[in-house]
Amino acid sequence: MSDVVPLLRIRDFALQGAGAAKAEVESLSLSIHSRDTLILLGEAGSGAGAVMRLLTQGPSPGAKINGTIQIRERPEQPLGKSAKLGLRTAYLPGPHANVLNPHENIRSQLSLVIARRLRQPRTSAAAELDLALQRLPGAPSPESLNLPPAHVAPEALAAGLLAAAMAQTPELLLADDPLGELSPAQAQAFASVLKAEQERLGFALLYSAMRADAARLLGGNLLVLRSGRLVVEGPVSRLATVQSHSYTQTLFRASVPGDGMAPARAAARGEPLLRAQGVQLRRPGKNKDREKITFELRRGASLGLIGEIGSGRRSLARALLGMEPVAAGRIVFDQVDIGVLSSAMMARLRRRVSFITGDDDALDPRMTIFDTVSEPLRAHLAMPRDLMAHNRDAALKRVGLAALPGGRTVASLTPFDRRRLQIARAIVSQPLLAVIDEPLHGLDAFAQSVVRDLLRNFRSNEGAAILFVTSDFGLARAFCEDGFVFKDGRIVERGAMSTLLHAPQDSHTRKLLDAVAALPGASGAVAKPIGAATPVEPPATGRA
Amino acid sequence: MWRIWLLRAAEFLGSIAGVILLVSLLTVAAQPPHGVWFFAKDVADQFLRALTGDLGRSATTGAPAMAVAWKAFPVTVQLIASGAVLALLIGLPMGFLLSAGRTLRAAAPLLQIVTAIPVFLIALALVWIAVRSFHMIAPVHPEDTSLTALLRHGDWNGAWFTYLLPILTIGAAGSARLQMALRRAAGAAWAAPYRNGLRMMGLGLLDINLRFALPEIAAALLRDVREFVLTLISAAVIAEWIFQRNGAADLFLKAISSHDWAVVSSILFLFAILTLVAGFLGDVLASLIVSEDRP
Amino acid sequence: MNGLLAKTDNGRHIPAFRTVIGAVGIAGLGLTAVVVALDNVIAHAPAGAAHGAPPLSPPDVGFVFGTDALGRDVMSETVHALAVSFSSAVFATAIAIFIGAFAGFALVRMPLGAGRLVRFVSGIVRTVPALVLAIVLVALSSRDFSTIAVGLAVCPAIFNRSFDSAMSLARSRHAMYARASGIPGFTLLRRDLVYELRVNFMYVAGRALAASATILATLSFLGFGTVPPHRDLGLVIAQARDSYLNAWWCVLFPALALVVFILCARWAATDAGGEAS
Repeated sequence: MSDVVPLLRIRDFALQGAGAAKAEVESLSLSIHSRDTLILLGEAGSGAGAVMRLLTQGPSPGAKINGTIQIRERPEQPLGKSAKLGLRTAYLPGPHANVLNPHENIRSQLSLVIARRLRQPRTSAAAELDLALQRLPGAPSPESLNLPPAHVAPEALAAGLLAAAMAQTPELLLADDPLGELSPAQAQAFASVLKAEQERLGFALLYSAMRADAARLLGGNLLVLRSGRLVVEGPVSRLATVQSHSYTQTLFRASVPGDGMAPARAAARGEPLLRAQGVQLRRPGKNKDREKITFELRRGASLGLIGEIGSGRRSLARALLGMEPVAAGRIVFDQVDIGVLSSAMMARLRRRVSFITGDDDALDPRMTIFDTVSEPLRAHLAMPRDLMAHNRDAALKRVGLAALPGGRTVASLTPFDRRRLQIARAIVSQPLLAVIDEPLHGLDAFAQSVVRDLLRNFRSNEGAAILFVTSDFGLARAFCEDGFVFKDGRIVERGAMSTLLHAPQDSHTRKLLDAVAALPGASGAVAKPIGAATPVEPPATGRA
Repeated sequence: MWRIWLLRAAEFLGSIAGVILLVSLLTVAAQPPHGVWFFAKDVADQFLRALTGDLGRSATTGAPAMAVAWKAFPVTVQLIASGAVLALLIGLPMGFLLSAGRTLRAAAPLLQIVTAIPVFLIALALVWIAVRSFHMIAPVHPEDTSLTALLRHGDWNGAWFTYLLPILTIGAAGSARLQMALRRAAGAAWAAPYRNGLRMMGLGLLDINLRFALPEIAAALLRDVREFVLTLISAAVIAEWIFQRNGAADLFLKAISSHDWAVVSSILFLFAILTLVAGFLGDVLASLIVSEDRP
Repeated sequence: MNGLLAKTDNGRHIPAFRTVIGAVGIAGLGLTAVVVALDNVIAHAPAGAAHGAPPLSPPDVGFVFGTDALGRDVMSETVHALAVSFSSAVFATAIAIFIGAFAGFALVRMPLGAGRLVRFVSGIVRTVPALVLAIVLVALSSRDFSTIAVGLAVCPAIFNRSFDSAMSLARSRHAMYARASGIPGFTLLRRDLVYELRVNFMYVAGRALAASATILATLSFLGFGTVPPHRDLGLVIAQARDSYLNAWWCVLFPALALVVFILCARWAATDAGGEAS
């Protein structure tokens, strides 16, 4: 049961950065009690990040700040006077947030943070960290964190960061979207661990989220922000339904994969575009007695390679494109055995392949928007300039980038714009095969819904075959007719998407399905798209 | 990890072999040509002799060239080392100062006025200040006496012109190079994203700077040691010539003028080894401070 | 980014102060080029001509920069020497960029690691300071080739930078994706060259010009550079060395001209959003 007096109350918080033309936050009020969960949901620039920064490091120099803050029953104080809250807080970032030094090992850095926060010697702090880590179910061993951040899997790093926060026994946990860049299964597991720790330690959880998935997983109360202003507030259970504000509905709808419709199989699909016959992937240092993979992908069809990072899905994708040698087997692309091709001939064949990935480094940051889209046209087709310009402009218009100056460099674009630019580049390439690899990675709710629509549009208009690499069954369901489910380098299940969804045989497939609660076939879960009458069950937080 | 060290050691040894080959090429190239085959054969013979330390004999004195060069080398090393110490004393604080705060960073391009001055102009300016402002007398033929002996005899004039002005010249060149490298390293360290992240996690700025940023800056400077040593050697060439110090750098210029290529090769070899060893040690120390994956 | 100091260029925010410095540097080089082109107009006398003025007379109304030991107008000599220094440095820079920068980009794509071998050799050559290398090259050829020698001496540094830059570009993720979608190697090379020229040319050229000017002047000062009667700034200063303690103007004005030239080259190398030079 939470206290009557709020643990933290902020009134009329307003913030304008030094030299900024517009306020980052306008008159925001919030309060949170012990054991409560309060989620600040909004896209990039909504102001949620400003609240986090205020509570962790105080306002930046030169910023104009208004409002008051009250801790429990203490007198109200103006905001920004001091970075210290007079409250035991801990900060929990996401594993991709680059908060740690890339050269030092994780355990050493987290021990230092704990030591400083708890004013303890380093050895005691390291012991506290190890203890906190051992309490987390499924967490890695402390020794596995004796590596720099780049050498550790994201979920292991996330567990380490959570353990460091828990070791500080906070009264208020400031979570900066740690679930945001985890796969659905990992996010679900992490959320349940976080809720269990909250139950055990009794801290209040203030969570800043860019997507509504976190709200679905954590429950509690929700503040929806947009452009620094409060749109609506209330319990997640109520706001996740059709009774909520339309903007809120849009945010929640964006986190629901698809509109309940799987893609229809293309009627006339012609010859197989890609055929794998007895392909065995090569894994150095591991058992080479791998399964033999045989399948074909017809023109216009789509295949999902579904699994977590390191499951082997990308290895197969690279092998199919001839980017990695295979231990055995034959791969035929567009009726050509790629195993007998020279690298020059292989390069010619790859002209009919396009990539759309969630990797922000996939485009050359020096290139301009126009050059990025025109390059495939210039390189592969001897097109007259005016026709090239026409195709380029049409593609940019289709993805909504026509308003941007064509001379802008890729480096100056947001991740959302870069994702759309990749789609435009794929459109002009007119590929036979499009490889789409985690296309929504790192985007906020709105950006995800726009990119999803663009991909749907691309799929239906361009007619390319699609190889879709993802850890999200919801996305796979929206774009793929067939799927392979990967785990630990092996395909654990394969078949038509409808079969995988409705009658999954393998436990790992069920686990990945469970992580996307809005899908049929998730064991024990009921389909809950935003249009359904059944609201999301609120967790037991003790607050209405 | 051991593979990286092995690779580095192999590179170092390969570079030394490359330097020996280069000086062998130079020694043979300076002689009159008599056919490609004989040229290649001469280079191979010279290379094999050079591996035993034999780079020929001085055309001027007839003594082994390496011995002649080695005899003059300590003077140069002394000047370079002293200049390096001075460069650290001036360049480090200046570099830190100029990387702290927007205003000071913005003022940095103006300080390129100092770094744009060629070393020989610095030397001439120092001589002018010593003579005109401090009323010293530039010696016509400086004596080859140790600094302590000069100071013991109260020969301040000799001490200034023989030791202190050359060291100041080399130190000024070195400090310009050092503060540029430091500003670059500090700029990268201050802009690193983890600083903000660790601050939000609760570490103080002092902790972050001392524990993480400073080692990275130190490592970046250590990796730049090779360029620093090259700057000091260049400055030493000019300083020894202007202030008539009988070091290896001055000997190099004299040997070039008299076409004594064996001595020239020997001195180049010593300069190259000095640079290579400094660069290797710098890389090793940098790796110990901050471990990085080899690209 | 502080709105007072920021401006947008192709959507990138760059500190305006740095571009002002770059603009001043380029303007300075332009002005120098004008002075050099009009040296016979600006100077009161041809190079090396004596006016019959008293030697070593201080600056006055008649001779604004004074006269040197042979009674020559220091201002005229400085202008003519600046012309020699400028044209030599530009020529040396052109050699360094053409051989160093372009070769660096092209050799990355050579088969069988040939590029890496050249890079290794270039690394060996760089164990010796560029000044020392230039002196050796002059001694092996003649003082008439001092400009070419300096260009070749500055080459290895530029080659290494270009090669390393091209190597990291070739290994970058965007290059990997481009190759995976069939973009030919020639297109990638062209892309790298065009963008490196666009973004980094001023930086590389400015630095090379500053280095060339410094080494040329130092070579001449040490007696390995230009041959009289064509005197560059280094030689003018060297020849005034015996008298400058009493006649400071004989060295100060040529030295100022040299420093300003080198400084403008360095400032011009301060590219927008790039490295400090």
